[in-house]
Amino acid sequence: MQTLDVISVNVWLMLISLLNLLILFLLLKKFLYKPVQNMLAKRQEAVDKEYAEAAEANEKAQQDQADWQERMEHAQEQADRILHDAAATAQEHSDRMIAAAKEKAAGVMRQAEAEAVLERQKAEDDMKREIVDVSAKLAEKMLGRELRHEDHQAIIDTFLDEIGESYDTTK
Amino acid sequence: MNKKSRLFRLVDVLLLSLAAAPLVGGVVLQVLTKPPSQGISISGARIHFTLPAPLQALPITEAQINSWIVIVSLFFLCLYMTHGLAVRPETKRQVIAEWLIEQTESLVANNMGPYFKGFAPFVAAIMGLSAVSSLLTLLGMYPPTSDLNVVGGWALLVFFLITYYKLKAGPLYYLKSFAEPVAFLTPLNVIGEIATPVSMAFRHYGNILSGSVISVLVAAALQGLSRMVLGWLPGVLGSIPFLQIGLPAVLSIYFDVFSGCLQAFIFAMLTMLYIANGFPADEYEKRKSHKQNKVKQA
Repeated sequence: MQTLDVISVNVWLMLISLLNLLILFLLLKKFLYKPVQNMLAKRQEAVDKEYAEAAEANEKAQQDQADWQERMEHAQEQADRILHDAAATAQEHSDRMIAAAKEKAAGVMRQAEAEAVLERQKAEDDMKREIVDVSAKLAEKMLGRELRHEDHQAIIDTFLDEIGESYDTTK
Repeated sequence: MNKKSRLFRLVDVLLLSLAAAPLVGGVVLQVLTKPPSQGISISGARIHFTLPAPLQALPITEAQINSWIVIVSLFFLCLYMTHGLAVRPETKRQVIAEWLIEQTESLVANNMGPYFKGFAPFVAAIMGLSAVSSLLTLLGMYPPTSDLNVVGGWALLVFFLITYYKLKAGPLYYLKSFAEPVAFLTPLNVIGEIATPVSMAFRHYGNILSGSVISVLVAAALQGLSRMVLGWLPGVLGSIPFLQIGLPAVLSIYFDVFSGCLQAFIFAMLTMLYIANGFPADEYEKRKSHKQNKVKQA
């Protein structure tokens, strides 16, 4: 079998070799670099998107937090106001109730006092009449005769009034 | 998608076997056509047949066929590596493919600058073709890189690229650059220009070929030494070259694996540096802005 010389120069062989290298370059470019580069670009895109979404979510979360903080502060204020209002209302209510109770109690007292005065009057009158009766009977017994009731009554009344006055003064 | 579908696996196996098939075919062809060696012979690539062509007959040699084998094999390997690409990597081969691409791109960007970003696949093609061609010796095949014509073709392409990028700043500027720094150095500059592809081709080809030559010589020497030292052993034992065990393997690791990869890297680096250095970036920018101004005025 023939062989080339160790150092041989053949234009066509060189040209074929040159084209071989070009062909391999094109093959590598089309079938290795292009697909992988496309995929890398896609990955970059996906990563960028993720980052953008994360930033957006973060911003939203911060906004939400601020929102909630504000709302919480608002709620605190509102609660304070409600409590305050409730306390005020209760105070007013209780004041009114106490006032009503006091008034009622005063009314009862007044009535009781009036009744007591009336009772006393009545009791005084009763006592007077009793005393008159007793003393009339006593006098009748002592004198042995019947007195005229009207006279007697007059005498005893004056007497009793005197006693009453002196009693009043001594009291 | 943790479990790949059966079709996916089938395509995987198909692509891998298609990548391996040319190599197996090359080995088979080698076994079928290689005549038994007679002593030490150092020759170029064997010629399978010769086609008539103008200027010079075109022999179809081992080196050509092995180059095509490498290209087909690499092509199917590419298809295998990019099969099932996903935004979220699911396969090891995708990680490897991404790593390769990132490495070559950063290499090109570091050595050539951003203007030559598109050169990454070209550099990868040089490296892959050169390294795999040299590594074919591990399969017992003829390495195309030890044929001057193969490497010369690559160097010629690189030379065309260098000239193309030098011409980017205008033919006048290109011609003027030969008379730098002083006019009487012009012949030297022309020689230097032509020497670039020649030196690249001879460096690569010479390194790989010399590795093969040294391996053959050492093997032959060891055979002779073995016959001399161990020839007294009785019967068949005496004819077995025991001393050939060991040293040729170490030499093969150096010359075939290490030197093959190193030469591929050197060739790619020189390509990048020559093209990037030859490109007159400042002048090109000036011309470009000048043209744009003209367009604006018109």
